[in-house]
Amino acid sequence: MNGTPHRLVQVPPGVQCFVGDEARRRRLIEHRVVSVFQGWDYEEIIPPLYDYADVFAGPSLETKTYSFVGRDGSLLALRPDFTSLLAKIAAGRLADRPAPIRLYYSGEVLRYEPPKAGRQSELFQMGLELLGGEGRGADVEVLAIAAECLDALGARGWVAALGHVGIFAGLVAGCGLEGGRLEALRERVEAKDSAGVREALSGSGAPAALAEAIVCLARLAGDVSVLGEAQRALSSSPAAVGALGELAEVVKALSEAGLGSHLAIDLGEVRGLDYYTGLVFRAYAPGLGFEVGGGGRYDALLGRFGRPMPAVGFMLGLDRVALLLERQGALPDAVGPQAESVAGGDLGASLLRARERRAAGARVRFS
Amino acid sequence: MSLTVALSKGKLLAGSEALFRKAGLPFPVGEGRKLVVPIDGLRFLFVKDMDVPTYVEYGVADCGVAGRDVLLEMASDVYELLDLGFGRCRLVVARPGAAADPRRASTLRVATKYPRVAGAHFLEHGISAEVVKLSGSVELAPGLGLADCIVDVVETGRTLEENGLLAVEEVAASSARLIVNRASYHARRDEVSRLVETLRRASA
Repeated sequence: MNGTPHRLVQVPPGVQCFVGDEARRRRLIEHRVVSVFQGWDYEEIIPPLYDYADVFAGPSLETKTYSFVGRDGSLLALRPDFTSLLAKIAAGRLADRPAPIRLYYSGEVLRYEPPKAGRQSELFQMGLELLGGEGRGADVEVLAIAAECLDALGARGWVAALGHVGIFAGLVAGCGLEGGRLEALRERVEAKDSAGVREALSGSGAPAALAEAIVCLARLAGDVSVLGEAQRALSSSPAAVGALGELAEVVKALSEAGLGSHLAIDLGEVRGLDYYTGLVFRAYAPGLGFEVGGGGRYDALLGRFGRPMPAVGFMLGLDRVALLLERQGALPDAVGPQAESVAGGDLGASLLRARERRAAGARVRFS
Repeated sequence: MSLTVALSKGKLLAGSEALFRKAGLPFPVGEGRKLVVPIDGLRFLFVKDMDVPTYVEYGVADCGVAGRDVLLEMASDVYELLDLGFGRCRLVVARPGAAADPRRASTLRVATKYPRVAGAHFLEHGISAEVVKLSGSVELAPGLGLADCIVDVVETGRTLEENGLLAVEEVAASSARLIVNRASYHARRDEVSRLVETLRRASA
């Protein structure tokens, strides 16, 4: 424009800048969510912005991590998520604390990801982890908190789609598929493409009953009545039936607490198999084309850091929450506060007047 | 609020129209070049075929009709609920019939409208390939010396033949798919599943 290089004018793609109403709204949203977390007796943790890259190792994050070499030659990485960091801290710094440990976080993570469908490189996440949280009680707790957050935010018509990775894992265990072929199958189940699932299974030598059950996963999605149908369709695998039983128990408790209409079942939800071990869920709402948040059970992660214990957690993406509320016309009011002026006259006297007015709670603009 | 359906203005349009009519669903007639057409409880978007998955992934459209070839290329995160059975074609590697096996070349040059699919295919087969992205008339590339071979869709194979090309390898089979946005699938379950079931019966 006036010859200033664009690098000195624009921020790079993937990061954002907020000011005025937008900044106020984001803080309001954060405040509402964090208030819910605190109400359930979760304690804030402020983890470091970067850590050793090993902490974030794992196929899902490795390729998305901004890593760099520290002065001492060790490989470091900007945090691409909070969960691994919290697991490490719970196993190390907090080793003396008895489980369960309830922790929440609110802050930015960085991922090498092309900006797409509500994803940026810099993401603001608000979430919590129930470390050492065992059994269905912990699953129910985390889902109930997610529900309360969405209600507190004023989101309308939201639905939490629940799955359980133990179902798919149980079914494929007897099919002799691994590596690329297993991933190809998982990807077709995820896409709910029955024909594609059939094709991915062909020639695998999977027993017919198991193969048929896996094909069914693509259509076992809908309201909670799907659980009954699934019971029949998956009866050939005791592991899948067991996982389904866990899911049913969670659904029953949440339904008794009046959340039934917000629940959906999605047994084709089979993402993050390297990470999740049980219940998984994603929250959707009309107006936003992708999930606003999600979570699940990851019982194997803490063992990596030397303190094996079960864990479950969830997070909401602030950018996505803000976008959803905007689309639903439910953004919090962000009118800037009114300031009074103490300008004019003697500077010393003005300073005294400003101090008095601020002590009385006013917002004061000086000079 | 009505459901929004994204359709391709290209080769899948006729098949989509036939399917919607057979299913007894509304379909715009004589709307000329209008790109957004609301009609009887549905809203239609007419976009380029490569763009259908994007509209659906972002939730601008709740569902859409896209070829498997396009879905492979765009790698969009959408549900592919139905194989609608029309628009059948194959994604193939084709090369000049007379040429020696181009795999002996140190780097194979490949012209295609499907750079992602082509790149992944040759990588998987351990062949180093330089992918040249084109927007159309891909079959001209080998004859003019732009590429050693092409990756493109074929229906009858006539176009390949006319350009002296031979399909030597199938990369994937394709047909039209009904795709659905993930959030719409769950958050507007009743409307979406009604539409899916209607189309499932009509395409069976």
